[in-house]
Amino acid sequence: MKYSIIGDEDTVLGFGVVGVAGRVATNAEEAQRAFQDLLGDKETSIIIITERVAEMIRSIVDRYVFTESFPLIVEIPDRHGPVPGRPGIKEMVNTAIGLKI
Amino acid sequence: MAQLTYAPTKTNLLRLRSDLSFAQQGYELLDQKRNILIVELLALLDQTVDFQSRVEKALEKAYEALEEAILDMGKLKVQYLTGAAHITTDITVRSRRVMGVSLPVIETQFTEYPPYYSLMGNSFWIDSALSFFKEVLQLLGKLAELKISVLRLANEVKKTIRKVNALEKIAIPDLKETVHYIESRLEENERDMFVLMKMVKENLERKKAAADGGLE
Repeated sequence: MKYSIIGDEDTVLGFGVVGVAGRVATNAEEAQRAFQDLLGDKETSIIIITERVAEMIRSIVDRYVFTESFPLIVEIPDRHGPVPGRPGIKEMVNTAIGLKI
Repeated sequence: MAQLTYAPTKTNLLRLRSDLSFAQQGYELLDQKRNILIVELLALLDQTVDFQSRVEKALEKAYEALEEAILDMGKLKVQYLTGAAHITTDITVRSRRVMGVSLPVIETQFTEYPPYYSLMGNSFWIDSALSFFKEVLQLLGKLAELKISVLRLANEVKKTIRKVNALEKIAIPDLKETVHYIESRLEENERDMFVLMKMVKENLERKKAAADGGLE
């Protein structure tokens, strides 16, 4: 089992240093293809995806995050920092269950 | 509140009563489940927020170091070095269950085979980038575990709340009202019958008295 990453060139290079295989995606089509490829790869159990790339294929990513048990998807900020205005985990939970925590 | 349409008979009353007690049991269980899930969710949520900020900080440092390394040596050379660094990460994913929700537990292990490259001619930044990214990866495993757990728990809490509300606000009041209606209808019938019997008895007695009087 291993990590795989989808992101911009710099992020992929950085994670490449520690032996994480990555796919560079700069547009929605590439992102989607990379994502599908990784889903087919049985060795990949955690997909790291940068927020900006995840934004391009938000509907697909969300479907997997919420319903599929495998693989696990984790979003990270890229070189330019977190996307402003993206709801944090607390807000996501609040809207999901309709309670203020 | 809507009353269910059932004929007011004894059989239906008995059935609805058992339905009602079943619904109440279900409500209690689901209520407990909801509370347990929320407690679990709260505990994980704080940890997740904490880990998220740690990952973001670690990433910031890692990107900086990488940028310095690229500035120092050029992108191409850094790319060569990524091929040289021989580190494999191994993840073990197990799952634990909380109230029927399976949550992942992730362990990350690194197998390293240093040294990777010559100390000569390579920037020291590449070393720090390497160690920072390793740190990030270690944290990321934990973050993935927490984040996925939180999202799944939240989903389950949402479903449970919906069920609890449906039982509490619709099913149980409806059943209660129907049971009450059937009970009062049956009682009413009983009183009707009682009065009817009384009248029949009085009639019979009067007839008997009249017959006795006629004979004497």
